[in-house]
Amino acid sequence: MQSSTWGFAVVEMVHLLGLALLGGSVLVIDLSLLGFGLRGVKKSQVVRGLTPVFRLSLVVMLVTGVLLLSEEALKCYYSPAFRLKILALALAVPLSWALHRQALRNGGTDDATSKVKLAAAVSLALWLCVGVAGRAIGFI
Amino acid sequence: MFFHLCQWLFDSALGTSIRESTYVFPLIETLHVLAITVLVGTVAILDLRLWGAVLKGEKVTTVARQLLPLTWAGFALVLSSGVLLFIAEAAKLYSNPAFRLKLLFLVLVGLNPLVFHFTIYRSVDQWDEAVVTPARARLAGAVSLSLWAGIIVAGRAIAYFH
Repeated sequence: MQSSTWGFAVVEMVHLLGLALLGGSVLVIDLSLLGFGLRGVKKSQVVRGLTPVFRLSLVVMLVTGVLLLSEEALKCYYSPAFRLKILALALAVPLSWALHRQALRNGGTDDATSKVKLAAAVSLALWLCVGVAGRAIGFI
Repeated sequence: MFFHLCQWLFDSALGTSIRESTYVFPLIETLHVLAITVLVGTVAILDLRLWGAVLKGEKVTTVARQLLPLTWAGFALVLSSGVLLFIAEAAKLYSNPAFRLKLLFLVLVGLNPLVFHFTIYRSVDQWDEAVVTPARARLAGAVSLSLWAGIIVAGRAIAYFH
């Protein structure tokens, strides 16, 4: 991939397409857990309805992300933005996974505890950090 | 004529200061990318609902009404950050084939919901709870998904044509 301009470009574009889907599903799920959005729809329904999008887009992002990394591994290793991104990602993925599981298990009751709300807010902040740090890799 | 306008924007104080600053241009670009995820991510959820791929049990109108504020917020941010980025790079973008393609897709993607709303969406009461919506609604969803994907791809490609 290092020798082809468009190989890298195409993988980068797919990475961005995955980002749109991942960002959208994270935003709608977490806002819903926080009590905003999709009113009249049970939170567990929102999570059940959108986790397939979340999971699929996460897989697309991880696969294309590893491919991009394979071209720029050394640059990334020394990049503070990349380190921050991976740290935020390592926290965001398990947190989201736990949040989704919890919401699915609570199928019946719909009042989010303050703990769930806090976790959803932290999740949003972490994913935002992943996105901002990710874009910053290209600038720093 | 358009080129002179682009050159004028490019040379303007605003355009020059954005272009030449170390932080402002990357910051606006980051905001642009994140706002795209809000805009396209929420549009995609509605498009996928029209195909019965996500949120099958929810009414189309429920999904549409609840997502719309997020979609519009994303749109406002994408548009304003996009205009600022354009002003900073206008003279270069004028002749950039990827940018021209992106603009064409943007016009088409704007027409799509207009057509959708004034045609098949008028009868939404009849298929609001359908898992898989009528063919024309699904067509609108497919066109929207394809065009937005094209816009993201063309947008990223702008940087490869400099």
